[in-house]
Amino acid sequence: MSTTAPASAHGFTAAQQAGRVAMHQRRKRTNAVALTLALSAMAFGMFWLIWILFETFRLGLGGINLAVFTEMTPPPQADIGGLSNAIFGSIMMAGLATLLGTPIGVMAGIYLAEYGQKTWLGGATRFINDILLSAPSIVIGLFIYSAVVARVKSFSGLAGILALALIVIPVVIRTTENMLSLIPNALREAAYALGTPKWKVISAVTLKAARAGVITGILLAIARISGETAPLLFTALSNQFWTSDLREPMASLPVTIFKFAMSPYENWQKLAWAGVFLITMGVLLLNIAARVFFRNKH
Amino acid sequence: MDTRVDTPSTDKSKLSVRNLNFYYGGFHALKKINLELPEKKVTAFIGPSGCGKSTLLRTFNRMFELYPEQRAEGEILLDGENLLNKKLDVSLIRAKIGMVFQKPTPFPMSIYDNIAFGVKLFETLPRVEMDERVEWALKKAALWNEVKDKLDQSGSGLSGGQQQRLCIARGIAIKPEVLLLDEPCSALDPISTGKIEELIHELKTDYTVLIVTHNMQQAARCSDFTAYMYLGDLIEFGPTSEVFTKPKRKDTEDYITGRFG
Amino acid sequence: MTDKHLSTQFDNELSGISTRVLEMGGLVESQVAQAVYALSTFNADVATQVLKTEERVNMMEIEIDSDLSSIIARRQPTARDLRLLIAVSKTIANLERIGDEAARIARTVQRLLSSGMSSRLRLPVGDLAFECELATKQLRKALDAFARLDVEAAIEVLRHDDQIDQEFDGLMRKLITYMMEDPRTISSAIDLVFVAKAIERVGDHAKNLAEQIIYIVKGTDVRHNPVDTVESLVR
Repeated sequence: MSTTAPASAHGFTAAQQAGRVAMHQRRKRTNAVALTLALSAMAFGMFWLIWILFETFRLGLGGINLAVFTEMTPPPQADIGGLSNAIFGSIMMAGLATLLGTPIGVMAGIYLAEYGQKTWLGGATRFINDILLSAPSIVIGLFIYSAVVARVKSFSGLAGILALALIVIPVVIRTTENMLSLIPNALREAAYALGTPKWKVISAVTLKAARAGVITGILLAIARISGETAPLLFTALSNQFWTSDLREPMASLPVTIFKFAMSPYENWQKLAWAGVFLITMGVLLLNIAARVFFRNKH
Repeated sequence: MDTRVDTPSTDKSKLSVRNLNFYYGGFHALKKINLELPEKKVTAFIGPSGCGKSTLLRTFNRMFELYPEQRAEGEILLDGENLLNKKLDVSLIRAKIGMVFQKPTPFPMSIYDNIAFGVKLFETLPRVEMDERVEWALKKAALWNEVKDKLDQSGSGLSGGQQQRLCIARGIAIKPEVLLLDEPCSALDPISTGKIEELIHELKTDYTVLIVTHNMQQAARCSDFTAYMYLGDLIEFGPTSEVFTKPKRKDTEDYITGRFG
Repeated sequence: MTDKHLSTQFDNELSGISTRVLEMGGLVESQVAQAVYALSTFNADVATQVLKTEERVNMMEIEIDSDLSSIIARRQPTARDLRLLIAVSKTIANLERIGDEAARIARTVQRLLSSGMSSRLRLPVGDLAFECELATKQLRKALDAFARLDVEAAIEVLRHDDQIDQEFDGLMRKLITYMMEDPRTISSAIDLVFVAKAIERVGDHAKNLAEQIIYIVKGTDVRHNPVDTVESLVR
């Protein structure tokens, strides 16, 4: 970049020209400094992220073999063992929690976006939802513990599902409402102008138009609950053996990792890292899938 | 406000507006409008921003009811029946009075489904008849030839002008009696605008058309009658050729000749 | 709301046209007066002058018409502006024809001079001058009315058109009498008849101008109507 200004066609004096050049130089310097700071901050953040992923891969990948998927969680210091029951439990509980929480969340989101923009009920719902959204998941876990587990006096997969559903619902409500609000009113008005009744405007037009965003929100909710440990500690607890009975305590990857990683046994620690690897990969893939899906639909 | 309302005696009135007042909350947006809109003719509404022309248009199909703070008082008679009567089913009114908006808004579905959407609300047609209706609507909107091979593609893949014609086809498909066009060409390029103006000319053989436009030359080109509004009042209404060569009110003349102080 | 357009350019264009129409009007007015002066004094130089002015008048008609087309294309005028421009187009055509009449008179003078008729003439050239004064007065009134867009003055012009016609009839009778008395005067008398007719047509053109003024202001086309009907159409 030249440091001399082009010949002036507007009749600026030489002193004014020099002033403009100096101002431009100052701005260039400020720009360079700001850019450097921003890049450094990014590098700093990226560094930790990459290190975490690297460690996960390094310590976890080695432990991945067929046995992880076929064998149940072993006793300490055993030779063979895997995470099959934990994997199954995680998938089962996350899946059913999503199935339970999504319809409630979507319906509430529809209410907030289409009916309750200005009502007191809408306002109250939004407020409570925001609180639930930022509630520590351990609190939710304890709530289900006292409401369900303590009553029936047993831990169960069902309780775990309830706790996870309570985490899914606020997330889905928030994303559904946001995505629906993004749909311009002009589209709704066009549907009304044809004589469409309100419920049909929402289901056949508005919701359809926001479909991609809503589904993305659900995918992200799934990714979130896949890694939740605290609520499961008080509800599903864990199970050394395979079970598909929801009334019994159920193993899950996060809780199993928690148990194994803190132990002094080597086989357990190895399996813990394998579990970490699996969860990380799963969440990573879900996030990527959500982004790709959203971009394709738009 | 004493307004001159002249309907040439040869034209039958399709819509009669009687003492219409409209409020946005406390703001008095339309002031005692009295107007006779002739059948199967194009009437254009012109006036500066905020004069109430869009507001007036949206009272005809009760679109304002979507927003609680908006309300209308008075009568709007369609073939003698008061549309503002709360007991009337608003969906049936909107089946008779269609609307096309400023921004083209294709529904998130295929072109075929876009057209069929409105029809399915009120009629159950077998597949063959529905196909015919879709084809008829698209032909009427001068869009058939451009989309006949891609009816199952999404409506959003069309160009702006095509999308707007799709919206017009969608509005016609339910066979309304009146068509409301709210600045239908303001988002379009001159060629698309020209095509739609041609279309309006043909539409009036079957429908009563009301068009709101910012573009005075468009009003002069397309319409048979013109209504000039200012700050919620109807200032003048008459045949377009008269309004543009020999307007009765100085206010009207000042507006259309561009004499704004 | 003022009388000025949002576009000052447009205002300037319109006032520019009006100014030039008045300029052209003044030009043809003096042309007619000069032509009849040339006739009554048998002045060759003045006659030549009239013909020179004719070129300028023709050019003005073409220029103003060209500007009119340009304004109409660019501004899409409506209502009063549109009527003004349409009326101006007809007005300058009328003015140009007035110039033609003046030129015709001037050429008659030149012909009479070259055939040596002038000295032997005892013809009522003075009466011609009087008819001409009526006509130029009408023209001046019409141009004034145009400048002020004054409908009442325009109606006055329409009302007095009869006067010129009556003068012309009187002149005709006089000239016929002369021709019957002295057959040697026939050819120059006929020339004078044509001159008188030309002046009468100037009066007609002034009347046309007045009709255009009414169209501009009131929007009513009053052409081909007797004065009384015009008054009722306008009020």
